[in-house]
Amino acid sequence: MLINTWLRFSILLLALRGSAAPIDDAFFRDRIEPILQQRCFECHSHTAGKMKGSLTLDSRSGWVNGGKSGAALVPGQPEASRLIQAIRRGDPDTAMPPKNPLSAGEIQLLEDWILGGAPDPRIAVVSKLSSTDWWSLRPLRTGVVPKTAGQAHTHPIDGFLSVPANQSGLRPGRSATARTVLRRLYFDLHGLAPLPEELRAFQGEWDATPADSSDAREQHEQRVMERWADRLLAHPRYGERWARHWFDTIHFADTHGFEHDRIRQNAWRYRDYVIAAFNADIPWDRFVREQLAVDVFYPDQPQRTPALGFLGAGPYDQSAAGTAPMAFEVTDRDDLIVQTMAAFTSTTAGCARCHDHKFDPIPQRDYYALAAVFAGVGKGDIAFDSDPAVGRARARWQLLAVAAEKTNRVVLESAEAAEITAAWMATQIEPAVWKILSPTEFTSAGGATLTARDDGSVLSGGKRPEKETLTLFFKDTATQLTAIRLEVMTDDSLPHRGPGRYDNGNLHLSEFELWLTEGKLDPRRIALRRAFSDFDQEGWTISHSLDGSEGTAWGIHPRVGEAHRAVFVLTETLTVPATARLKVVVKQLHGRGHVIGRARIAVTPDDAERAVILPDAVVAALSIPEAQRNESQRLALATHAVRTRARVELSRLPPIQQVYAAGRDVSRHGERASVPTPREIRVLRRGELSLPGEIAQPGALECVTALPPRFAGEAMPEESQRRAALADWIASPDNPLTWRSIANRVWHYHFGRGLADSPNDLGRMGNPPAYPELLDWLAADFRDHGGSLKRLHRMIVTSATFRTAEATPPRRNRLDAESFRDTVLNCAGRLDSTMGGPAVMHFTLGPGIQVTPTVDYSAHDWDNPGAGRRSIYRMVYRNIEDPFMAALDFPDAAQLAPTRPFSTSPLQALALWNDDFVLRLSERFGDRLASMAADSADRVRAAVRLVWLRDPTEEELHDLTSYSAQHGLAALGRVLFNSDEFLFVD
Amino acid sequence: MNAMPFALGRRSFLRQLGGGFGAVALTDLLARGGELAPGSAPAGRRVHRPKARRVIQLFMNGGVSPMDTFDPKPELSRLHGQKLGPKEKPEGQTGDCGALMKSPFEFRQYGQCGRWVSSLFPHVAQRVDDLAFLMAMTTKTSVHGPGSYMMNTGFLLPGFPCLGAWVSYALGNLADNLPTFVVLPDPRGLPYNQRGNFSAGFLPAVHQATVYEGAIHDLFPKERFGFARTSETDGLALLQKLNRSHAAQDPTDSRLEARVTASELAAKMQLSAPEAFDLSRESATLRALYGLDQKHTEDFGRRCLLARRLAERGVRFVQVWSGPQGAVNNWDNHGSIPKELPPMAASVDQPIAGLLLDLKQRGMLDDTLVIWTTEFGRTPFAQGGDGRDHNGGTFVTWLAGGGVQGGSTHGHSDAWGWKTASGTTWCYDLHATILHLLGLDHTQLTWRHNGLDRRLTDVHGRVLHEILA
Repeated sequence: MLINTWLRFSILLLALRGSAAPIDDAFFRDRIEPILQQRCFECHSHTAGKMKGSLTLDSRSGWVNGGKSGAALVPGQPEASRLIQAIRRGDPDTAMPPKNPLSAGEIQLLEDWILGGAPDPRIAVVSKLSSTDWWSLRPLRTGVVPKTAGQAHTHPIDGFLSVPANQSGLRPGRSATARTVLRRLYFDLHGLAPLPEELRAFQGEWDATPADSSDAREQHEQRVMERWADRLLAHPRYGERWARHWFDTIHFADTHGFEHDRIRQNAWRYRDYVIAAFNADIPWDRFVREQLAVDVFYPDQPQRTPALGFLGAGPYDQSAAGTAPMAFEVTDRDDLIVQTMAAFTSTTAGCARCHDHKFDPIPQRDYYALAAVFAGVGKGDIAFDSDPAVGRARARWQLLAVAAEKTNRVVLESAEAAEITAAWMATQIEPAVWKILSPTEFTSAGGATLTARDDGSVLSGGKRPEKETLTLFFKDTATQLTAIRLEVMTDDSLPHRGPGRYDNGNLHLSEFELWLTEGKLDPRRIALRRAFSDFDQEGWTISHSLDGSEGTAWGIHPRVGEAHRAVFVLTETLTVPATARLKVVVKQLHGRGHVIGRARIAVTPDDAERAVILPDAVVAALSIPEAQRNESQRLALATHAVRTRARVELSRLPPIQQVYAAGRDVSRHGERASVPTPREIRVLRRGELSLPGEIAQPGALECVTALPPRFAGEAMPEESQRRAALADWIASPDNPLTWRSIANRVWHYHFGRGLADSPNDLGRMGNPPAYPELLDWLAADFRDHGGSLKRLHRMIVTSATFRTAEATPPRRNRLDAESFRDTVLNCAGRLDSTMGGPAVMHFTLGPGIQVTPTVDYSAHDWDNPGAGRRSIYRMVYRNIEDPFMAALDFPDAAQLAPTRPFSTSPLQALALWNDDFVLRLSERFGDRLASMAADSADRVRAAVRLVWLRDPTEEELHDLTSYSAQHGLAALGRVLFNSDEFLFVD
Repeated sequence: MNAMPFALGRRSFLRQLGGGFGAVALTDLLARGGELAPGSAPAGRRVHRPKARRVIQLFMNGGVSPMDTFDPKPELSRLHGQKLGPKEKPEGQTGDCGALMKSPFEFRQYGQCGRWVSSLFPHVAQRVDDLAFLMAMTTKTSVHGPGSYMMNTGFLLPGFPCLGAWVSYALGNLADNLPTFVVLPDPRGLPYNQRGNFSAGFLPAVHQATVYEGAIHDLFPKERFGFARTSETDGLALLQKLNRSHAAQDPTDSRLEARVTASELAAKMQLSAPEAFDLSRESATLRALYGLDQKHTEDFGRRCLLARRLAERGVRFVQVWSGPQGAVNNWDNHGSIPKELPPMAASVDQPIAGLLLDLKQRGMLDDTLVIWTTEFGRTPFAQGGDGRDHNGGTFVTWLAGGGVQGGSTHGHSDAWGWKTASGTTWCYDLHATILHLLGLDHTQLTWRHNGLDRRLTDVHGRVLHEILA
């Protein structure tokens, strides 16, 4: 001990002498940091990705905050510092590093450092929220439109852009030609070029008034543009164009993505909703509310349910949902949070998942408040009725059906139930009369020996088949048929007297089918609505005989040795012509000899309600005169009557519709999934599931100071209320982000670049607006005039700036993938204007190795019906892109794409030149030209007018005519569709 | 009208689009607006002299078992059959943990470096002195979809650019007559995530992989379009004339000039690509070296040979896949390690060794980086009878070629091969190292997207100097 103390003392002296310097930052850099790096970082640093015990030693804040057991050291007090205790290895459980101890010298240096106050210059960026004093967070300034001297009438946008302070690069100026202006307008609003006759009409109006003064000329042009803008905005092609921009923004696609990239058969209903919403110009705040919580805001309009498809727009990792549910849930919800906040408010809330936002005033707690908003939803199909009356009827009968299942006395003893019961009782005055049919022919597929008995039954004998299909034919049946009955009967020849031939007397009926054969026509399958039986083996109910699955069946064990019967009710009453034959197919495919021993068929024309097999309790109750029935007998009758009626009524309703979305109750590929109560959301330190902090309450962003950042003092138990509260927060007129976001987006799509050129981020990492006054004015004007997008478009396209001939660089570009494709179709006369409905596949689908099918774009036939539909109706396969559309910069559908690049590459040139679509449509275009004119020069003129919207020059006419004379009109189309004059909008 | 200020304005605009960070690579300019001709020498992003000029990545789809291939675990032999794993099913595993299971394969030491290699890789074993092993790779997930994304793009979620796309963006191509980034998927099917693994994400479409499935899509018109074939030469000449005369109306618009150049390069590609993909002129000896003469190695061998031919002709990044998605014919050996793993290993062993030797003999290994990767490892616990489940805890990657110290290793897994023990290496470190070898600083290679300067390595990444020459 003494020696040890002495030793330490001398080392201390040596160390002090060696350093000959105070314990300061340099001491840390020279002596301490290398020890930490070499001996501790492997388990306690960000670079290693390891933070054992939640402790990091790669920054000052790392040891100040410490790990799970608290601060790692106390400056000035080595003895009280956990780090020193650990490296001295007093307690084997906490000894550090775990394997190779530090040397005495290293320990001494660390002790000295702490004793000297533990100076550490590695000040990490201290988590300090940035200021809310930021342009996009300030209230909107309504502003005054700057007046241009000497001009009586100035369009507001031109007024703003005419001032010297304008830094946006855009400016009103001399108008471009009518052709250029109209192409701009059409591509902007419809995503299509104008037709030659449309340009002609426009040109007529455009040229109508000669300019006697520049003011008058400007007013004239503005009026012409107003008329044409109104015309185009009123056309449904507008919604088709702008829906696509929204889908880019929110990464909407028709498939899941990831490992199991399944098709979402019902995603298209959301696509149709968005198109309709844009066409109807619903106010922007309503658009927000509908997409986030239409179920709360418009409960009496179930037809608007597809709006919720917004919540299901993004990818879904089906595999991770099953095998790594915890991580899945966090990442899936993250995607929805990021999408929602980017799309509506242009903020990057996702950056605050692991720590406070580094640039914008978004604390980590805000992120988890948003997570709490979506804590009660899962992606999947949501059912709805587009007809509210059907929706109400379905709700009523479902309620009654549930009441019958659960024997809800309140409902079953109500006047409504009494009425239903009375109506049903009226059908039960007499039981149905059954007519037993004797078969004229019968066959055994399994090879049994069949014998007809005098009572109409058929007995199975001889070798017992493993599996059996019994087919029976009947003539001279009743003329009307409402139900058909199968009796399985006993016989002394059968094991345990039957009615089955299995060793224990059981049988398994897999499927029961009824067919009608008339003359030489193909047999017609008769739909059977429902099956009843007098007894079901547990788990082997009679419904299995109609479920279309040969793997399930009806059985009667253990009640063997007695006859049983099953009644099948026809979906519609069948009228049997005198010459017709009935065919009954009785499939018994379970195997191992579970075949029917003796079977007999009967039919009835009576009301099916009288034909069904009633439960014993109901039969017993019916046999007692009404006045003498006790309460439980009355209840038994009411239960049966209500259940029966509800089933009938529900089966008569049109099928329920579905949309792929997210909600509390969804179904995923047929399986129901539900989140009964919202999941508890905790703030996760460093975003890690293993480090849960405080519980988060639903809310939004604190930086929008005009609005309360949390939605309720206590947890909102109903998840839909949370979504509704977020929708209200976003749609509030006092949320400046929302209005700036959409005004900027619309500007971006008209001018190729936003006023703030980062449409999904108006924060500090985004590009600040070149002209904030104009953006504010537009946003406020949009908000204060009903949130009408059409009004905003009209405002923009009627400005002189929109018409200008100045080719301001970012403004115009190559046609986007959809505009190119749709316009080529239109030029070839092949554009199919059908709107809506399931997505059109531009590929052939084959069975895949696993869940994901094979998708072959090159095998698609462009003559298929629907191939001429607009691109918006194309099925977007998230992980298997369409190579042609991708070559033209259609975005990766797994990412939010608020802007599209416009690339140029050799592979794109090849796609435009050689793709099946371009070549087949060139042929179609050639056919069209041939039908338009007989003379080859006239054909070329027609081609140039359709594609370039002008007449050819003499030289062009010469070149194109000689080319098409040699190579044909299809070859001409190919060249024109590849020409830059067509591909670019000036 | 003076053209110059306009052109300058456009350039500064493009820089703004890129987000205000340093120099924007030429390919990027081209991508965003066609500022400059495609195929020109890319510039700007390199920060130091590169050791490697091109990359061939071999991706084993499904999750290669490390303890049955390159990471022997004597401890598993000792504890074989004992149920020592967790009782609850860990996240990402498809089933519960069975008993610890020893490898059914024998390990031997090879080369001067003395690397242990199992009997499954006898040919690769002969080349271990050229390989640098990362023995403690780890990942954030044990699920195929996110796992494949992580190893290809550095993120668990879809929509991020993969390594090949980033390299294309950073460096462009070495040749102007072939695509920059080519993927050769397993003809039996696409991997997990389908084409998502080769996506350019938010980078412009020019950086998207050219996926070669027997042909380059749209390189030529289909046979049925006879007019397209007969009019090809005259048509292109006419198109160029029309486009040039249209461009002449506005000489300041560089997008139009870029289109003209793109068409010319497309024509060059039509001439060059068929030759590059044609193996018939390779000698029988060379074909045998890659295993083209044997049924079980023929397919992967062909694609390895294609990779070499493409790399040789200037393709910057080639990715070769072994195994489709699904339950069979890949490295996802849940059912039986002794039954399922040997045929997979045999199908790639000789082709890989052949590729390495061929590159070396041609002197190409000096500046070609070869990487062998997979999405995660497999459990030391048995699944079912003798399969192994997914394990993101630890797995093996190796590198060879330009700038890599052959025979070196980095990191260790724990005694069971369940988790890493030291020298833990993430995809971030691997990607940072690959970029480093290509002369790039992974922290400087960025693209502004939705408010963030996105990187291949996110906010992580350490260059693994331990394995560099």
